[in-house]
Amino acid sequence: MSSLLKASNVESYIGLYTILHDVNLEINKGEAVALLGRNGAGKTTFLKTLMNLVSTRKGSIELEGRSIVGVPTHKIAKMGIGYVPEDYGVFDALTIEENLRVAMWKEDKETLERVDSVLDLFPDLKVAYKRMASTLSGGQRQMLSISRALVNENRIILIDEPSKGLAPVVIEKLAHALKAISKDATVLLVEQNFAMACAVADKYYIISEGRTVNNGDIKDLMQNKELQHKHLGVM
Amino acid sequence: MMITKDFSKKRLIILALLLAGLSVIPHVSGLSTITLFSRIFIMAIYAMSYDILRGYMGFINLGHAMFFGTGAYAVGVMFRNFGSTLPVFLIAIVFSVVFSSIAAFIMGKIVFRSGGKGPVVVVAGAMTTLALGEIVRHTAERWRSVTMGADGLSYRIPEIFSNRILFYYYALIFMIVMTLVLRQFVLSPTGRVLMSIRENEQRAEFLGYDTQKYKLIGLQVAGIASGLSGVMFGVLNRFANTELLSVQQTLNALLMTLVGGTGTLYGAIIGSGFVNIVQSQLLNFRSVHPVFERWLLFFGAMYVIVVIFMPRGFVGLYYTLTDKQKAKVQKSAVGKS
Amino acid sequence: MDIFITLVINGLAQGALLFLLASGLSIILGLMGVVNFTHGTLFIWGGYVYIWIFTLTDSFLLGILAAVGVTFLMGVFFEKFFVSRVYGNVPAQILITLGLQVIFTDLVRLIWGATPLTIGRPDFLADTWIVGGIVIVQYRVFLIAVGVIVAFGIHLLLNKTKIGMIVRAGVQRPDMVRALGININTYFTFVFAGGAALAGLGGALYAPLVGSMASTAGMHNQVLAFIVVVVGGMGSFMGSAGGSVLLGLMGSGIAWFAPGFASVANVGLMAIVLAFKPSGLFGLAVKK
Repeated sequence: MSSLLKASNVESYIGLYTILHDVNLEINKGEAVALLGRNGAGKTTFLKTLMNLVSTRKGSIELEGRSIVGVPTHKIAKMGIGYVPEDYGVFDALTIEENLRVAMWKEDKETLERVDSVLDLFPDLKVAYKRMASTLSGGQRQMLSISRALVNENRIILIDEPSKGLAPVVIEKLAHALKAISKDATVLLVEQNFAMACAVADKYYIISEGRTVNNGDIKDLMQNKELQHKHLGVM
Repeated sequence: MMITKDFSKKRLIILALLLAGLSVIPHVSGLSTITLFSRIFIMAIYAMSYDILRGYMGFINLGHAMFFGTGAYAVGVMFRNFGSTLPVFLIAIVFSVVFSSIAAFIMGKIVFRSGGKGPVVVVAGAMTTLALGEIVRHTAERWRSVTMGADGLSYRIPEIFSNRILFYYYALIFMIVMTLVLRQFVLSPTGRVLMSIRENEQRAEFLGYDTQKYKLIGLQVAGIASGLSGVMFGVLNRFANTELLSVQQTLNALLMTLVGGTGTLYGAIIGSGFVNIVQSQLLNFRSVHPVFERWLLFFGAMYVIVVIFMPRGFVGLYYTLTDKQKAKVQKSAVGKS
Repeated sequence: MDIFITLVINGLAQGALLFLLASGLSIILGLMGVVNFTHGTLFIWGGYVYIWIFTLTDSFLLGILAAVGVTFLMGVFFEKFFVSRVYGNVPAQILITLGLQVIFTDLVRLIWGATPLTIGRPDFLADTWIVGGIVIVQYRVFLIAVGVIVAFGIHLLLNKTKIGMIVRAGVQRPDMVRALGININTYFTFVFAGGAALAGLGGALYAPLVGSMASTAGMHNQVLAFIVVVVGGMGSFMGSAGGSVLLGLMGSGIAWFAPGFASVANVGLMAIVLAFKPSGLFGLAVKK
């Protein structure tokens, strides 16, 4: 089976600093992959590199065999990548409805049906549909951001640390929703919260100091306390 | 990169030759050239003061002309009212320094108050300082009893400044002394902190620096240098008008630092030379062809061309070229081994 | 009382003109972070093109359309070839827009001469009404109407259309708009050119009001518009509307009661706003 997303020997930089040195990763259609690693390892930068929000210096990134290195961000998104950034990237001056509409490429029946089914996952949003996003809580923002990545027929969803800064109750809700989402969609999930990653993903990659150092089945990682301790700081 | 504590021997020799060349100029050229060069020296310090803000602090001040213009007005008003004598000149200098530091303090308190980061803060700062500069210009325009308003203020200058050749040397000495002083400031611990603030303000804060205080000091130093160059300019010109306080005047400083290269101090001298020479040449061309009546067309084009084709200025261009040469040399060396 | 009404009308008309200039400036600042110094030159181009076409065809409408069209195209040209190269680089933006301002202002002098051109008001707006002893200048009422219509139009565009949503989203997070698959550069061009056309409309309407157009009117009105933006709150459309009305009313009041202090008052107001409410009086813009 050919891979949906394949990154080989990716090196990228912000300003003068090289952040990623050698990242290799492959995701097949339908998989849910967790990208793990300590703070500052380069996980967020890798997602930004995929979106070309951070420039790639070396290496190749392919989406279904087509190179996306150097392609403008909006075209990458249009090729079918949904992106949920670390800080949610919610538009405060817009209502929830408008946030979703900005994201929609078409407002046809099919899309609107998809939006309905997404909102079924997050009843909180449905209730507050006409409210300004500036009034939302952190958890609701995260839900909105994830929904926004789902309104189009994307090939893959990139989610950056959805559990960060949220209360355990909210994390539980999110994990539940993400599990449901990953059933149908291909997901690349950056996580610090190992429990969350285990709940959602079936495969993992570990990134350390800008390099992918380990990968495999997440069930194996659950058993391997030593590896967890070394790269994730899990006690 | 550019400024180091010690000069290499080669650099010292080049500087000495340059100095010698500049000392000879007044004896071999006409009055207009002498005045042009005096102007270049003085404007270089004005541009340099701007470079401290822009190049070393990453701060775009659109009201910078307030220091410069007030310096020029200070000598003008005082010469007119208290006589054109040397003591009055010294009082004007003291006044300009005091005014600049107080005005810079107030400006800094307003502009640096808000936190935040990124281009938004730069833009907000630019707009705010634009507004503050306009306040000073309007005040000068309205205060006719002292400034003569929009007509401008002409005045006589002390005897010892009236010889253009002698004044050329004063201006040259002024430039050299101020360059050394500002260089010392940039190399000082305070200057280092300013640079680290430019690179990453948050990190500087985490390291325990009161970044607002340092930025205030930087703005005050730049303001004083700008004010002093204004004083010198006032003496050179024997005339002050509200143009000297305008946004246009501020943007001249911005242009000169951009042409020369920012964050280099010396770039300001090159920028001042280039801009002033181009400007005076364009004005001269007016007698050659009528299209040069509209010399501003070409002057404006220079802004655009510089921004697009020389974003790092002449100094930047120089470093790019020498870097390439170095890279070439290294490459061939590697190839041979 | 009569004076009061006259002053209010004068002030609102002045405010309407300022609004045409300031609203574009403010949205461009908010969306693209560009301190746009070409606005002043677009303003005088609007005025000169209007005078040119109006004297040729004797048609007010054609004059206005030509002014708006030419300045719109200038806006596209400025943004596509110059401003778009320097996004994120504030000093470069300031210099490049200023350079364009200098060039195009001098071009006006090259084409139409350095002396101001005079122009009358169109016949159908040249009269005055006298209502209960108060003289009301038709043209001023017309300006107020245009201001209200344009404000309402922009409001609808920003709040009821998808373009407006994307622009509002882009003001806050341009990177995220891109990451959602939208080519925001197209919107940048559109907004810049739209702002340019509004400035051109302002210039075209300004010329008949004061009876002439001078190439020096650009910088003066540009600075006034900047003041409105600072007073109203940067990047806020409502702010520029409120700020324009406030400055217009204040200006006409002061021109009557304390002539000569108009410019000081504007700048003074700005100073007070900066000192006590730096986010602007109507600072509704998203702070980030």
